[in-house]
Amino acid sequence: MKKAVEIENLSFSYSDNDILKNTCLSVYEREFFIIIGPNGSGKTTLLKVIAGILKSRKGRLKIFGRSFKKYTRKSLAKTIALVPQMGMVDFPFTVSELVLMGRFPHLNMLGFEQKKDMEIASKAMALTDIKHLEHRTMDQLSGGERQRVFIARAICQEPRIILLDEPTASLDIAHQVKLMDLMEKLKEEIGFTVIMVSHDVNLAAMYATRLLLLNSGMIEGVGKPRDILNCEMLEKIYKCKLLVDKNPFGDLPRITPLPLKFI
Amino acid sequence: MSIRSPFILRRIITISLLLLFVLIVVMLAGVSMGSTKIGLKMLLQSLLGEKMADTMLDTIVWQIRFPRVLLAGLVGATLSLGGLVFQAILRNPLAEPYILGISGGSAIGAIIGILSGLSRFPGVSLTAFAGSLATLFLLLIMSSGKSLLKKNTLLLSGVMVNAFCSAIIMFLVSMTYDARLHNIIFWLMGDLSMCDINQVGILALMLLPCFIILFCYSHSMNIILMGNEMAQTMGINIRRVTAVLLIVTSFMVSATVCYCGLLGFVGLVIPHLLRLVFGSDHRILVPASILGGGSYMIICDLLARVLPQQGEVPVGVVTAMVGAPLFIYLLKRSKQ
Amino acid sequence: MKKRCLILVVPVLICFFITQAQSNERCVTDQAGRIVSLPDKPERIVSLAPNITEIIFALARGHLLKGVTTFSDFPVEAKKIYKVGSYVKLDLERIVSLNPDLCIAVKDGNPKDVVDRLESLGIPVYAVDPKSLDGLMQTIFEVGELLNAGDRAETLIHNMRLRIQRIKFLVAKAESTPRVFWQIGISPIISAGSNTFINELITLAGGKNIACGTSRYPRFSREQVLSLAPDVFIITSMEKGVVFDELKADWGLWPEMPAVRNNRIFLVDSNLFDRPSPRILDGLELLVELIHPELFKEKH
Repeated sequence: MKKAVEIENLSFSYSDNDILKNTCLSVYEREFFIIIGPNGSGKTTLLKVIAGILKSRKGRLKIFGRSFKKYTRKSLAKTIALVPQMGMVDFPFTVSELVLMGRFPHLNMLGFEQKKDMEIASKAMALTDIKHLEHRTMDQLSGGERQRVFIARAICQEPRIILLDEPTASLDIAHQVKLMDLMEKLKEEIGFTVIMVSHDVNLAAMYATRLLLLNSGMIEGVGKPRDILNCEMLEKIYKCKLLVDKNPFGDLPRITPLPLKFI
Repeated sequence: MSIRSPFILRRIITISLLLLFVLIVVMLAGVSMGSTKIGLKMLLQSLLGEKMADTMLDTIVWQIRFPRVLLAGLVGATLSLGGLVFQAILRNPLAEPYILGISGGSAIGAIIGILSGLSRFPGVSLTAFAGSLATLFLLLIMSSGKSLLKKNTLLLSGVMVNAFCSAIIMFLVSMTYDARLHNIIFWLMGDLSMCDINQVGILALMLLPCFIILFCYSHSMNIILMGNEMAQTMGINIRRVTAVLLIVTSFMVSATVCYCGLLGFVGLVIPHLLRLVFGSDHRILVPASILGGGSYMIICDLLARVLPQQGEVPVGVVTAMVGAPLFIYLLKRSKQ
Repeated sequence: MKKRCLILVVPVLICFFITQAQSNERCVTDQAGRIVSLPDKPERIVSLAPNITEIIFALARGHLLKGVTTFSDFPVEAKKIYKVGSYVKLDLERIVSLNPDLCIAVKDGNPKDVVDRLESLGIPVYAVDPKSLDGLMQTIFEVGELLNAGDRAETLIHNMRLRIQRIKFLVAKAESTPRVFWQIGISPIISAGSNTFINELITLAGGKNIACGTSRYPRFSREQVLSLAPDVFIITSMEKGVVFDELKADWGLWPEMPAVRNNRIFLVDSNLFDRPSPRILDGLELLVELIHPELFKEKH
């Protein structure tokens, strides 16, 4: 299997303290790769490094076998798309305008869309089920709907890798599952690689092809959920008492944090 | 089913033609109205090449009113476009073209020029331009490096520079007590009456390339509004785009201020007005700001000249008194 | 040989005189050093400052005026003439619409750019710059030349000189030179210093202008004024809406000041002192009365 992302000995620091220390990892094509770990472990930083927003001075990053440095900004935009955690929109763009912005890396200098671009955007909105919202402005949408708009925009970039930064953070449980189902469906239908940062361990366990466990900038483990998610490892990292049993569906681990009264 | 909204190019052309029509009508009104009566028929005849019977009227129309209307159009276009671009770069709806210290710096430069006894052109214009370049330079040094891209650093630095400059201006004004005080006050209030056709021509030559460059970057402005990080992932070289937009817009606004002083309100409100009517897409807003902002300023200048019995009202007063209620009305309507 | 030269010279001279007689334009140099080309007999004149208006009327050429500035209020006839804006903010279109063949401007006041534009539109502008009484009389003379009122100008100047002489003789009899403070601005307190008309008038009227120093319009704090101990305090009415009684009462709080002690605080019409026109001598005579009332008591 081809490697979508390959990281060797990567370190990143904002000023003095290292956020990421000598990280090495590989993500294979068409994987649903989820990065989990406690707050401040460097998950979002790692994602931003892969996205090209943060540049590290030490280590190597390869996208589809090519060094990251060899990509131009536009070609990178056509390869990797980022769905942010909270999209900031100060100005009243409509949904269709926002989704069409995803076509930017493919447009000419003046930025005028052609028929092809409109069709791609239309298909993206259909896939994410927001077609009926296309003329609304963002402030009129719910959190889940807004998320889907950003996903549709990412699809328009026609990337081979989609990065998502804690997409379920502000969604209710129904919408959390809906979003994860959507990403899985899109991955199957369109065929891109999904790299996601999540704080929800159970959700990660149910969907991930492989998991990455990050703690204080260092990789504690990489592999299939049932291999990685064991009690001692998780308790050491999250520093709290946990109950790890089996999810009745799919033979997957289920993690429940324990309140004090049950210990 | 494909998206119903028409292709962007078609929309741009339609809206531009509409606003161009408005601009032409308004220019004709501006040139035909004033303290001397000149009928529209005579004006149209003059346009078609016939020399007017009275050469004095000819002089008034072509040497006095036409340069003034042209200047008003250019100034309105530049200030509106400047406000639009700064609102995009700084991602702040309260940004206006003078926000990065241009007003403070150019005012100090102009006052120094006036106090030195220089004439408006080229003397005071050049000192004003030098002043705004100096503050811009100061600002860029203050917020250099990584912090240039942090949106609030630039904004706050600009506000501070303007505040400091205001103090200096107040000091300079308080020290003056002869006829030059009047010159200073008129410059600070904004004044469209001081240019002849050659000077306006030079300004047009300086501004037109800026308008074209900014139009080319209009879709980038849409993307920048998503945030610096998001814009980078969509393929924008955020440093280069911000730098180009900043430099071109600052140059454009500084050059305009040198010709007409500090005309306020237009740069803040016209972009919002146009957004309420045409939406937030900058590919439409850039030509709309140029044509719409220009028309607005010509109308305000016309009212400033024609309404009072004696003399004229400062144009800056009219832009605010017409613009604020108009904006509030449109805001209320859009909420419903 | 001589006869041949004469034969050549005479026709040349004749041509020269003929062309001069036929041309109805002349070239003069104005007080700002500019060379102005204007008609021999200007018939449509625009005055760009109130004092110019007064001078033109004093020369009996008021009927030639087609346009004046907003504050041209003397003589009464001037109020009816078409207004072309204030002297610091001239309305170009209004001036041009009058089709003038001559504009008379003041160097200290009219914006140079407007003057330049009028010139570029083919309208001659003659600038004057009276800075003293002598300068004023020179201005009256030059304006008289421009408007073919040379005789009247001579008479006017002669009368003005007589009046000044009379005042000088009168003031020479005075035994003291009272200290005078001239207040122009209320807040901040501004006075007229060196190189101003007011300074010259106060000195001629037999007073000492205590604000005379390095700058033209110096500022004072209240303490500085008190420490200068003026004997005579004069306030001009230039600031609109000033209530004289309030101001007088305000200064009245400081009876240490000689002017307050002796009740010598006066309000005067600024138009008599700030406009370089023949009326400035009315102002001068008023000043002598205020500064040296004892000289007039002697007369009666």
